Amino acid sequence: MSDLQDEAPLVEKSEKREPMGVLFWVCVGWIVLNVFGAIFANVLPLQNPLYQNYALVNAGPSLHHLLGTDDLGRDIFTRIVYGSRVSISVGVGAMIIGFGIGAPLGMLAAYRRGRFDAILTTVMYVLLAFPAIIATIAVLSFWTPRSLYKIIVVIGIASIPLVYRVIRTATMAVATKDYVTAAKVQGATDRRILVKELLPNIAPIGISFLLIGVATVIILEGALAFLGLSVNPPTPSWGNMINESRTVLAQNPWLALFPSLAICLFLLGLNFMGDRLRSHYDVTEVKL
Amino acid sequence: MSTEPEKLLVVEDLTTTFATPGGPLPAVGGISFNINKNETLGIVGESGSGKTVLSRTIMGLQPRTNVTVTGSVLLNGHQIVGASENEKRKYWGIDVAMVFQDPMTSLNPVMRIGKQIDESLRVRLGMSREAAKARAIELLELVGIPSPERRYSAYPGQLSGGMRQRVVIAIALACSPKLLMADEPTTGLDVTIQAQILNLIDELKERLHMSVILVTHDLGVVATRTSRIIVMYAGRIVEIGDTREVFTNHRMPYTRALLESSPKVTNPSHTRLIAIPGRPPNLMKLSAGCSFAPRCAYATERCHQERPELQSSGAPGHFFACWNPLPASQGAPTS
Amino acid sequence: MLKYVTRRLLMLIGIVFVISIGSFYLIHLLPGNPATVIAGVGATPEYTAKLYKLLGLNRPIYEQYFIWMGNVLHGNLGTSFISQTSVTSVIGAALPIDVEIIVLSQIIAFATAIPMAMRSSRRPDGPLDRVLGASSFTLLSIPPFVVIVMLVLLISIKLGVPHTGPSSYVSLGTDWVANLESLALPAFTLAIGSFVVYYRVLRSDLIATLQEEFITLARSKGISQRRIMWRHAFRPSSVALLGTAGVNIGGLLASGFIVQYLLAIPGLGYTLITAIFNSDYLLVQGIVFVVSVGVVLINFTFDFIINIVDPRISRE
Repeated sequence: MSDLQDEAPLVEKSEKREPMGVLFWVCVGWIVLNVFGAIFANVLPLQNPLYQNYALVNAGPSLHHLLGTDDLGRDIFTRIVYGSRVSISVGVGAMIIGFGIGAPLGMLAAYRRGRFDAILTTVMYVLLAFPAIIATIAVLSFWTPRSLYKIIVVIGIASIPLVYRVIRTATMAVATKDYVTAAKVQGATDRRILVKELLPNIAPIGISFLLIGVATVIILEGALAFLGLSVNPPTPSWGNMINESRTVLAQNPWLALFPSLAICLFLLGLNFMGDRLRSHYDVTEVKL
Repeated sequence: MSTEPEKLLVVEDLTTTFATPGGPLPAVGGISFNINKNETLGIVGESGSGKTVLSRTIMGLQPRTNVTVTGSVLLNGHQIVGASENEKRKYWGIDVAMVFQDPMTSLNPVMRIGKQIDESLRVRLGMSREAAKARAIELLELVGIPSPERRYSAYPGQLSGGMRQRVVIAIALACSPKLLMADEPTTGLDVTIQAQILNLIDELKERLHMSVILVTHDLGVVATRTSRIIVMYAGRIVEIGDTREVFTNHRMPYTRALLESSPKVTNPSHTRLIAIPGRPPNLMKLSAGCSFAPRCAYATERCHQERPELQSSGAPGHFFACWNPLPASQGAPTS
Repeated sequence: MLKYVTRRLLMLIGIVFVISIGSFYLIHLLPGNPATVIAGVGATPEYTAKLYKLLGLNRPIYEQYFIWMGNVLHGNLGTSFISQTSVTSVIGAALPIDVEIIVLSQIIAFATAIPMAMRSSRRPDGPLDRVLGASSFTLLSIPPFVVIVMLVLLISIKLGVPHTGPSSYVSLGTDWVANLESLALPAFTLAIGSFVVYYRVLRSDLIATLQEEFITLARSKGISQRRIMWRHAFRPSSVALLGTAGVNIGGLLASGFIVQYLLAIPGLGYTLITAIFNSDYLLVQGIVFVVSVGVVLINFTFDFIINIVDPRISRE
């Protein structure tokens, strides 16, 4: 292709993997801190998230109540830490289901091709056309009584087709590469190829999509909390804290502000990590 | 004014350097030449010799960032080097137009071809919609596209490679440019189509009184169609002269190597082509000497140390850059 | 083209069929006897028995489906046992509000995202691109319900402007100025999320397109930068944008729910949430069915538009 090669080395050089950057590690630290807080909330020196102090209602931030108290005199900081348990467990739990089922199916379909792939892909595309959010709302409103595990299961199942599509596309790009064919020719078992050749190559895409997926599920859980379809009060969740704050917005803006900040910063951290990983491994932007 | 043929394009000491993460990359260096009106000039070189960069720099079409261009390009009296995009826009299409390498990528895939030809006519020449359409159909006919009215509303995807390249030529001709820059116009095409396209360019050049720069890696392409040839290596001119002179009396070993590596009809069958040993140099790591020296059979210590400048061979307009030139008149390739 | 459309249409029918089964089956998710739950607490046994027959619960389940489907095809989604009104008419009254909010939000989103993406892509990694990239990224991490709460906090409480939100919805027919005022906040909120997605998708595609040889050819014609962007680069770069828009607008029907609910605008979302709170199951079922079909239709329409925009797709 003649002279275009003049510029070929330029392009290669500029696409060299860029370093992750400090901000990426700040985000990792922030997310780890949040998860740590969620896991050890009951061990940490926190107040009781349900303890109501009627003497101190709608108080602003103070030394004793770092982020103030809510309309029932409960400590906002404590409730945010406890609330992260709901958001994080729904986010992580749903993605474990989504990836646990969607990812192996996607890899297998892309690797095997043939009828298995054709049938599975058609089914998944039909399911994808079904609006996941509405399906989630619908199922949760009928499937009473609601509980955390039902929310996780419903969102998890709804995310399977999406995960399937992303992983299948990613695997297909790798499965046609020469080194995979070479491994096949050398008589490697399917299992070995899937685990040793394909998995490491699609892992970056998978992880990047996983992080953004967790963020999306957390938004969805927040929305469900507004609809009264998530965990029931008084158990705190970021979503229902913001929802409850609406009635006392004028008296106590802190109550809306801090949980909002908590959810936004957590999502920002996840999205940033996902995006960084994606550009680091030079994966094209997948829409979510 | 004078009997001298008028110069349409004067290039002086033109240098194009890309800024890359690995340091500056001199893609084209110290190029000087000119073109007369109605002349066809060939620029020949291997892949990576800087032909494409040179032709784009002459047009002023180099990428807008990370590039430094110095020297001078006078096109029909307009200075291209250092001109703003707005100034160059006035010359593009009217003073100079370009036929691109690969017709599969150089046409907009989602725009009907008629619209792509129309555009220059309407925007640059201010023609009315109807007049532009009529003229576009004329142009399609001119470049030899059958049933041009029907093709006018086709998408590029519905045409073959050869037809597409004809469309690209029609686009280039829309505003009757004075200089046509054809950058490897046949590389992307089937061998059978190549000659058709080259003949078409040749024929149009005569009819429309244009000058043509034909950039190619194939000496066979320029042999019969150009009056002068520039041989490029590693971004520099290594030999320049009248086509006949360069073919029969070249002095630069690289030119000979290039000639010997291309097939000729006159060769007896089963003649082995002689490949040029080694690879084109890395432009980032050019030595102080002649850049062809590492691959040259005649290279001496001096060739590695000191770069040869262009020197006259004695024949008018024939220059070469070599410390150990092939003997004059013995330059014809041995077969 | 025709073959492509036929194939897509067949798929569309298949998907609607699956949706109808899903929506129909919803009431069977109710614990115990659906009739008892639907009739509500305190209903007489006679009423429950009547409802049981009316829902056809005594028949085999496939027959129930065909009866339900037959009614749906006649535009009858049932009668709410809570409000005693026809589900179809309730939906008919609420749907135009959703459509209006979505149309408004999309106008805002496209009108901002397209010019900004064009600006950014002309100098990737330039100062403007970096600022827009960082801010779009931040906006991506703010859920719509947070936006609404913050906007209400800011506008009505801090600025003291009597906000046009809760219970102030005015229909388009009554007073279009007041109508636009009452819908400005929800439309704006939904526009933010759409803007971010459109901006990012279009920007990355435009950057790729601008590297193409046909853009250099367009440049060599001597036409203006503006013309190159709009006439040459935009259309081939808009395929992913349209695909995303199709999916996104479908999603807006759902994220619009929360926004409507928070601002008490009586669209489908608001109606759905009230129905969930009131355990008005037939209304929920009807809305789920209508919205799902709507989402699928929107996706289908955008697929079709993509084919017109890029003739390469249907040819493949």
